[in-house]
Amino acid sequence: MAQLNETIHQTIRLRVMAALVTLEKDAEVDFSTLRSLLDVTDGNLGAHLRKLEEAGYILVNKSFVDRKPRTFISATPEGRKVFKEHVQALESILKNGK
Amino acid sequence: MEITPTEAEEALLSIQAIMKKTRRSISASGAYKFLILWGFIWLIGFLNSQFLPGQLAGNLWIGLDILGGIFSAFIGYRLNRGVRSSSPSTTGKRIGLFWLLLFLYCVAAIMVAGTGDGKQLAMFIILFVTFGWIAMSMLLSFTSVWPGLALFTLAIFGYFILPGIFYIWMAILGGGGMILLGFFIRDRW
Repeated sequence: MAQLNETIHQTIRLRVMAALVTLEKDAEVDFSTLRSLLDVTDGNLGAHLRKLEEAGYILVNKSFVDRKPRTFISATPEGRKVFKEHVQALESILKNGK
Repeated sequence: MEITPTEAEEALLSIQAIMKKTRRSISASGAYKFLILWGFIWLIGFLNSQFLPGQLAGNLWIGLDILGGIFSAFIGYRLNRGVRSSSPSTTGKRIGLFWLLLFLYCVAAIMVAGTGDGKQLAMFIILFVTFGWIAMSMLLSFTSVWPGLALFTLAIFGYFILPGIFYIWMAILGGGGMILLGFFIRDRW
């Protein structure tokens, strides 16, 4: 049976993962786009991204685009897998609770 | 870790909401720009067709379409710069390829049918455009199907019921409608 994941379950981290797994598997989103999607502050998003990166659920890629520094974020295969399991666990709790 | 069914439901709703927002933001974030651009092109082009001699209006249409193509490519290039992918078959590229192929099909269909009359030619192009619009909407954002169907209905109505003012009908209701819809999507969506 799928298990809930404590790292992912926190509200903002859950929304970060939901946004990232919606992208195609080889796609990555830049920091400011993700921030405006989630409607959070730079500091708040940065802190949660670090937690997800430490867990190995996301990749943070810093590069230069048009000579400007940009940070791109994507979900790792492991991140996609645990997110899927987390959603299955949530659905199971909901189903059994009704 | 244990949570209640209510908390699970809230978490699932939150996930669904952000997934929907992400899909919409990425796939439809720049749609309004295309609507406004092509709305102005239809407005100017159909007004030309109504009031200018046929040959001159036809040449102006070609110029407007080339300008529209260049600006569309520019808008498309600048779209979704917040998302990048190493895959050559991303959604944006597939959409661009779809419209290019539809354009080629439209040209081929016009050549095969041999449409000589200006209104017939315009209607042929409108049918292909509205077909492409509805097909894309069904894949990306179902709510966009309705404006596409409205445009199709307006065109058919104008062509068969109001042939004397067909061009001006399409300029104001078709072109003007696309411009208004574009601004509506930009400000309210």
